[in-house]
Amino acid sequence: MRNGKAVAKNGGKRTLKLMIVDDSNIMRRRIERSQRFEQLELVGTAGNGLEALELFKKTDPDVVTMDITMPQMDGIECIARLVAMKPAVRILVVSALADKATAVEAMERGANGFLNKPFTDRQLNEAIAELMR
Amino acid sequence: MLYEQELKTFVEGTTNFFEVAAQQPASIGSPYLMEGSPAVHEYTGVINISGKREGVVYFTAPKAMLTVLLMKMQENDFSHETMKDLVGEVANTISGNARRDFGRDFVISVPSVLSGEKPQIPQKPGVRSFIIPINWRSHSAKLIVSLT
Amino acid sequence: MTRAAGTARRRQLVTAAGLGTVLTVVMGAVLVMGFRLATNMRAGIGALQAASTLQTYPEEISRQLSTLRDRLEVRAYSGQALADLQGTVSRFDQKLNQLAGSHAADSPQLGRPLLLWHQYAPVLDPVVSFTGQPYVDSDTAGSSLSREGRAHYAAVKRAQLFASDSAGPLQAQLAALSATLQRSSSDAAARLRTLLLAGVLAALSLAGAAGYFQLTRSKHERAALEAQEQTRDILKTVREGLFLLDSEHHIGTVWSDALTRMFSRQDFAGLSFERLLKDLVPPATLTTATKYIKLLWGDRAHENLMKSINPLGQLEVKIDNGHGGRETRYLQFDFHRVMGQDGVKHVLCAVGDITSSVLLAHELEESQENASAQVDMMLGLLHVDPLQLVSFLDTADSSLKLVNTILKEPARTDAEFRKKLGGLFRELHGIKGEAQALNLKSIAGRVHTLEDMVSECKKKPELSGSDFLPMVLKLDELLAHLRSVREMAARLTALKDTAPGAAAMAAAAGAAAASGADAPGRSQPRVVEDLSPTLLAMAKRLAADNSKRFRLTLGGLADVPPSYAATIKDCIIQMLRNAAVHGIEPPEARRANTKQDIGLVSVHFRKNGDGYELVFEDDGAGIAAETLKAAAVRKQLISEQEAAEMDTRAAMALIFRPGFSTCEDVSMDAGRGVGMDIVARSVYALGGKIGVTTHPGRFTRFKIVLPAGRAASSAVA
Repeated sequence: MRNGKAVAKNGGKRTLKLMIVDDSNIMRRRIERSQRFEQLELVGTAGNGLEALELFKKTDPDVVTMDITMPQMDGIECIARLVAMKPAVRILVVSALADKATAVEAMERGANGFLNKPFTDRQLNEAIAELMR
Repeated sequence: MLYEQELKTFVEGTTNFFEVAAQQPASIGSPYLMEGSPAVHEYTGVINISGKREGVVYFTAPKAMLTVLLMKMQENDFSHETMKDLVGEVANTISGNARRDFGRDFVISVPSVLSGEKPQIPQKPGVRSFIIPINWRSHSAKLIVSLT
Repeated sequence: MTRAAGTARRRQLVTAAGLGTVLTVVMGAVLVMGFRLATNMRAGIGALQAASTLQTYPEEISRQLSTLRDRLEVRAYSGQALADLQGTVSRFDQKLNQLAGSHAADSPQLGRPLLLWHQYAPVLDPVVSFTGQPYVDSDTAGSSLSREGRAHYAAVKRAQLFASDSAGPLQAQLAALSATLQRSSSDAAARLRTLLLAGVLAALSLAGAAGYFQLTRSKHERAALEAQEQTRDILKTVREGLFLLDSEHHIGTVWSDALTRMFSRQDFAGLSFERLLKDLVPPATLTTATKYIKLLWGDRAHENLMKSINPLGQLEVKIDNGHGGRETRYLQFDFHRVMGQDGVKHVLCAVGDITSSVLLAHELEESQENASAQVDMMLGLLHVDPLQLVSFLDTADSSLKLVNTILKEPARTDAEFRKKLGGLFRELHGIKGEAQALNLKSIAGRVHTLEDMVSECKKKPELSGSDFLPMVLKLDELLAHLRSVREMAARLTALKDTAPGAAAMAAAAGAAAASGADAPGRSQPRVVEDLSPTLLAMAKRLAADNSKRFRLTLGGLADVPPSYAATIKDCIIQMLRNAAVHGIEPPEARRANTKQDIGLVSVHFRKNGDGYELVFEDDGAGIAAETLKAAAVRKQLISEQEAAEMDTRAAMALIFRPGFSTCEDVSMDAGRGVGMDIVARSVYALGGKIGVTTHPGRFTRFKIVLPAGRAASSAVA
């Protein structure tokens, strides 16, 4: 687990704090690189659900990208826990699991959007923009 | 007997990954059949399938190919772990595609990643595998579909 | 449409209610005003009467004052006159005050007589208030005025004096008042008339308006009824099951008839969505469906996202078919949010029955499976000699291995892919020929399909790996089929164990079957089959298929060394096919050329020096060099220039070129342009040579020379 820099203020505009949860390093870094939103500030990345919970408590993010298939605690469970802690959190599910039941389950637990793996930078940016609307 | 659509779903899952993640499409080479365990490259992502069909589907790629792929993805960490991650993601995409198309009939496992030239891939005896070369830039990987 | 009609209806109701209220208020106001006007008028008329009466009083008072004075002067009895005056004054005062108290009081016309009267009354007062005795009776002077009487007389004179001055004005003023009152009275009457007229007009116009609205309302009601009827018609005829879900996920009161048919029930009103699906789908599906419906009410996900995660796009349900059984149907649910002012109001649900299309897809799958129906295969196998069959299966396996090897050759470019096609075709064509020779239709049919795929690929402008995917699948299926043929053959042979030696054959077939697709190639030592029955059977079939008549004579085939058996067989089959299609003429044509109706085809194998020699000859039409050249030009194998410069010998060699065939229509037997090509290739592979001699109209003779002691490995190692 790596914690990001402290939250910076951006021209008076409130910066939203982003947390990335994915068990794959590549995916984590890809999302990191692609998030080009001025209002987003990465506060940390986690490789599984348990790590995500801990990091969430410490950094209190506003936006989370969440993988579904992860060791220890999967994304679905983690979404429910995060929403319980902070109902206003916006969660983007980023997963290769394209089946409808998983999608409905994640939405029901409180996810706000979906992005299917693999994705292009553009798809990612659009998904995050949609999430923050 | 495997259906064309089933094979296509696996193939598309694989080529799609290259197209989307590296912005450079992969093409498929000349497919063929093989009995017994086919030779694999350094990194292999495996998904197990049960239900209407039983067996394994795996993507195996040489390190050189993965390195270039990572470079195209603007990744600068070429460690063993990252390579495994990458092959895992490809397998993940194949698994996702298969779930989308045959979720009703198949039970598809979460991918596992193996490395080394002689990994133990549980293969049913007497099952002919479909070997589909995946060509990308000057490199070649293999998608192996071994189902009954 | 429905919404607009509803609004119009509501507006109408409001209008009708408004009209009623307005009518009541207006009529009430008219009545109240009329009542007040009437009351005022009545008072006015009273005042007028009073004023008219009052006019006469000043005159009367003056007159009575004169009378009183006269009486007093003559010392006559004045009591009656005073009493009259008192009565008149008192009545006048009373009436005037009365008038002053009435509504006429504010009339300026009343002020003046009142003022005058207020001056007059004090003057009269001493007169009328007199109560004493006016006279004193003395004997001396007779009756004379008493002291009181004198004062009284003086008061009367004063009053009379005042009266003579003011009676006229007072009377005139009262007349004026009465005229004013008369005017105001008639004004009031006119007002009342106007009011009543206005009231009547208002009532009439309101009644008119009410009538109009009643009329339009009934028109709108008719339109609404019509709209309702249209909605009913739509719901009756639409093929989707349509209904609305409320926020409690209950079905509304309206649904389309199709829904009734789909779910075989009627009681939808108020039914919850969960209950609707409860007994029809597995619990896990039900849970997902329920969660999804709940999400539709939230604002977290927009319509497109919701659509993309709809888990009920193809729902398999088991529905009571009304005859005690359950029937599987496939339903497609579509959900649309109906937005109200405060978010989602309803969810419109459209259910389509996609059972037939789903079943069709399944049937297609099944028919593919059933393509391996084994009945005809079994029948075919019964007639085939087990040893021949095993030999064929071995050959086929080897050839298919070669096919796979060709496929395995890495390829990226169109040229690399295209290069494979020729080889694939030759191998497949060879297997097909043998399968046909043995009348193994199920195998020949499959190989033919595979061959077709290769031909299709040839036509494509740009080849890629995906074009080969269907081929590999078909190849896999063919290998599986060959294996099952092998297994079935083993079983059949075991059944036929009455014949002597059958056990050995069964063992051979069984051994081969057990080794499956891994079966070794031709190099494995085994009993050499007798080719003759296969070839004779094939000749018979070819003659029948091509409407030709010819006799096949075979010689020396028993001497074919095992290492050459397969190749020799392949070659003879191809040449035999060529002879049947191209060589031997139809009987009529032969007769015209003074030949026997029945053609002759002979095959002779013999040792020749160090090696072997195979001569294949038919007494058919022969081959014309010009025909070959023309065909080669047409197929763009050579240019016209090259054709013109080509000698007969070179032209004859064209027949061994890949891709050459002079027969235009593609049948199972020829016309694919590989027959002699295969032959030549396999001969070269064995280190042999092939030549052709022909005489147009007379014969064609192929001669194959093979070396001796050639390694046993086959051409497809």
